[in-house]
Amino acid sequence: MAELIAAANLTKHYPTSRTTRQMLRGERPVVRAVDGIDLVIQRGESVGLVGESGSGKTTVGRLLLKLTEASGGTLNFDGAAVSGLSGDSLRRFRQQAQLVFQNPFDSVNPRFTIRRAVAEPLINTGVPRAERDGRIAEAMRLVHLGDFHRYADKHPSELSGGQLQRVVLARALVGRPSFLVADEPVSMLDVSVRAGILNLMRELRDRLGLTALYISHDLTLVRYVCERTLVMYLGRIVEDGPTSEVISRPAHPYTQALIKAVPRPRTDQSREDLPISGGLANAVSPPSGCRLRDRCPYAFARCAQEVPALLEVAPGHRAACHLTSPANAAAA
Amino acid sequence: MTTALLSVSDLAVTYRTQAGLVAAVDGVNLEVPAGAMLGLVGESGCGKTTLARALMGVLPGNARVSRGRIVLDGTDLQALSAAKRRALLWRDISFVPQSSMNSLDPVYRMRTQMREVLCGRGDLSRGAADTRAADLFQAVGLNPVRLNDFPHQFSGGMRQRAAIALALALHPKLVIADEPVTALDVIVQRQVLDMLRRLGEDMNLTAIFVTHDIAVVAYLCTVTAVMYAGRIVEYGPTADVLARPAHPYTMGLMNAFPDLEGPTQDLAPIEGSPPDLHTPPTGCRFAARCPFVQPVCTTTYPAPTDVAPDHWAACHRVGEAETLRAQATEAATWQS
Amino acid sequence: MDGGSTIVLPAKRRGLRTALRRYFADPYAVVGCVIYVVFIVLGILAGWLAQYDPTEILFTDDGQLAASLPPSAAHWLGTTNLGRDIFSQLVMGIRPSLFVGITAAVGVSALGTAVGVLAGYFGGVVDTLLMRLTDVVLGLPFLPFVIVLAALLGPSLQNVVFSVVILLWPNAARIIRAQLLTLMQRQFIEAARVTGASHSRIILVHILPNILPLSLLYGSISVGWAILTQASVSFLGFGDQDTISWGFMLQDAYASQALSQAQYNWFVPPGLCIVFVVAAGFFLSRGYENLIFPKLKQ
Repeated sequence: MAELIAAANLTKHYPTSRTTRQMLRGERPVVRAVDGIDLVIQRGESVGLVGESGSGKTTVGRLLLKLTEASGGTLNFDGAAVSGLSGDSLRRFRQQAQLVFQNPFDSVNPRFTIRRAVAEPLINTGVPRAERDGRIAEAMRLVHLGDFHRYADKHPSELSGGQLQRVVLARALVGRPSFLVADEPVSMLDVSVRAGILNLMRELRDRLGLTALYISHDLTLVRYVCERTLVMYLGRIVEDGPTSEVISRPAHPYTQALIKAVPRPRTDQSREDLPISGGLANAVSPPSGCRLRDRCPYAFARCAQEVPALLEVAPGHRAACHLTSPANAAAA
Repeated sequence: MTTALLSVSDLAVTYRTQAGLVAAVDGVNLEVPAGAMLGLVGESGCGKTTLARALMGVLPGNARVSRGRIVLDGTDLQALSAAKRRALLWRDISFVPQSSMNSLDPVYRMRTQMREVLCGRGDLSRGAADTRAADLFQAVGLNPVRLNDFPHQFSGGMRQRAAIALALALHPKLVIADEPVTALDVIVQRQVLDMLRRLGEDMNLTAIFVTHDIAVVAYLCTVTAVMYAGRIVEYGPTADVLARPAHPYTMGLMNAFPDLEGPTQDLAPIEGSPPDLHTPPTGCRFAARCPFVQPVCTTTYPAPTDVAPDHWAACHRVGEAETLRAQATEAATWQS
Repeated sequence: MDGGSTIVLPAKRRGLRTALRRYFADPYAVVGCVIYVVFIVLGILAGWLAQYDPTEILFTDDGQLAASLPPSAAHWLGTTNLGRDIFSQLVMGIRPSLFVGITAAVGVSALGTAVGVLAGYFGGVVDTLLMRLTDVVLGLPFLPFVIVLAALLGPSLQNVVFSVVILLWPNAARIIRAQLLTLMQRQFIEAARVTGASHSRIILVHILPNILPLSLLYGSISVGWAILTQASVSFLGFGDQDTISWGFMLQDAYASQALSQAQYNWFVPPGLCIVFVVAAGFFLSRGYENLIFPKLKQ
């Protein structure tokens, strides 16, 4: 397999508004939304990116799609530096990398018909008019809106959430992209509809060999679509491994808590207390060293002094925790 | 079963819209036993929020209760005057909204908002109110020092805790919570759920949780009511309803619901969408999406039928529930 | 017809029809529109309707100056103290008033929309610069500035329009920028970016149609302001003395002490005309509110 996406030390700091005092002192406080992550996505891989709100997961998605410029680090897409894309090369990139949004009701221009909305990428990338209808029909078939003449001339307000999310998927696929970012694509949908979209994403993964980044706060959903999962906490990746491994043998205390916290649809489930307490720390002035340390029951001196590196705990499974790092494992 | 604290019979709520009358709630029968945590589960548009608002008597201007009775602890609420009904709010029935950001007033300190409820509605003295407020904050897991803070100084989870403290302030007989943990992150959500579970045990709380999340109900609620297109289609002890669902809609929901454990085979979505309530179908409202539909289902609405003690479902084929359940687990069953 | 246009046309036509239906659902908008149509028609026909040259000094058959005549069949609204026909002045005054109102409206909404959209869309330095400029202009005192400008550039109608546009665009720009910021949060704008749409395309295709009602709203409000300003400037005597406008008529009447001589036929008609046209501008804007905030009606 070849690398499609390779990011090294990717960073995004958002400036926050300054107080007069900070301005006079020349301080420039920033929100460390993404704080130095390394990330490689192989061609054809479906990767889940899991984290709570404020973890920076959405910013990662926006960085990978060049919807926001990185503050530091490098990011390559298909061997080329994303920061250097402009003009024609940017247009080609836009055709290759697509995004599926959280809220289907908001992500289609309300003034457009469905046909017009799905045609948008084709118009923007200069696909000749004669080819468009065929391409649209093909994309609509892929998302199981085959009898698309039923929908073609309707407006978004006339469709249900599930149908509309399929339209959004069709719009993303119509330009035959190689990379898809899906940011919470089912969180606005009802349970009964959600399953259909998840199945569709699995099917598209298998049929089209799409490379995908599936961003979600919900490990349960990622599990149905992605073979590999990354867990983010306060701008950093804390765990990375095969999804089943991450769920069955989480190595990082944060991942352990995350998995324990998910309620199950059964009455016989563990209700014991979570190992970590409190809520997310402030991303403007996060704790030194390991960012989980003030919530972590296992924290010790080293956690405050040193940022734990993302190290292998099992083949293909890495975690950023001093407890699991080889040095400590050897000492213990 | 213990005596019901709240009993709703044949309740209907009608909205006046430009396209005509819509019965968002249409013939709901529901019992909430004292001390029970009832999970009211349903998808968007099923009428669960309307039902909750009708129970509190705070329907929007274009909606009204068109028939049925709501009896709380022996009092027929529909027979009360509007003023008397309002007086019950917060004392007898209190409310926890989904977004406490909107329900807490941003310009007042939490202490002031607590006093407002405790002194204004509950006739406590200021000193007594402050003591009670501190106790309540402690009970929901907040440091009483934070009573001096403004709502915006709280995180989302803390705000939700504060809203719950406010709802519990006057020892209400019934607490209605509309998606109280939906907006929270998994870990904070779990912390709030644990807090609620403890409160339920310690205070013998009677509560209705309106939610779309079966897992939240499974974690917290003792009784479950499943709502579909304005009606309750299944009702019973949570363990029983989730393990042995008797209504095809409940079966479908269970199969469509993703789990963190077990095999990752295809989930089974329920095809189609809920009926348009401007012109509700005669017969069972789930018939158009039900894989087990029979001719009778499209002509007659099925009567609620007992399947186990305190567990009923409104389905014509309730007798075959066991067989249907087995078929329902196959994804192929649900493909139209 | 090719594929592309068959797709777009039906939707647009339908959109326009529903937009018009919603627009005219407001009775005020209908009244405003009727007033405009009446004045525009009168303005076009003014050349015929005016029996006299409005600046011509008239004499009676017996060679007397036809000064301060009461309304009659010959002079429907009577004459001024210099023997000019008031009705002819009134209908000829429609043209400069409408010219000022409409060109100023177009100018204000165009400039305001451009600045608001650029500031809101590009943000950052562009936004800061444009918005601070807006603040500065908003701080200028309105009428004194117009008068100074008229004194500097000469008292022509064009200069009145120019100064009105220069002074009124910031209101429109600020509101449109605010609207744009909410629009930029909508995911379909982001979606357009992801699908490779250029900045100009996003602005023209996705943003402007959603901003347009608001621009038109500010345009119709500006009509009233511009006409009032032109009338004020003329009334204060800084206007173009060669152009007969309603403001000029009022100033003329005032200077000639028409009020103390109870020549209501002289100053009431131009005053009423100004009130009608200005009010019609605000009435028209009510219809746009229905388009922008349809839920307010329910």
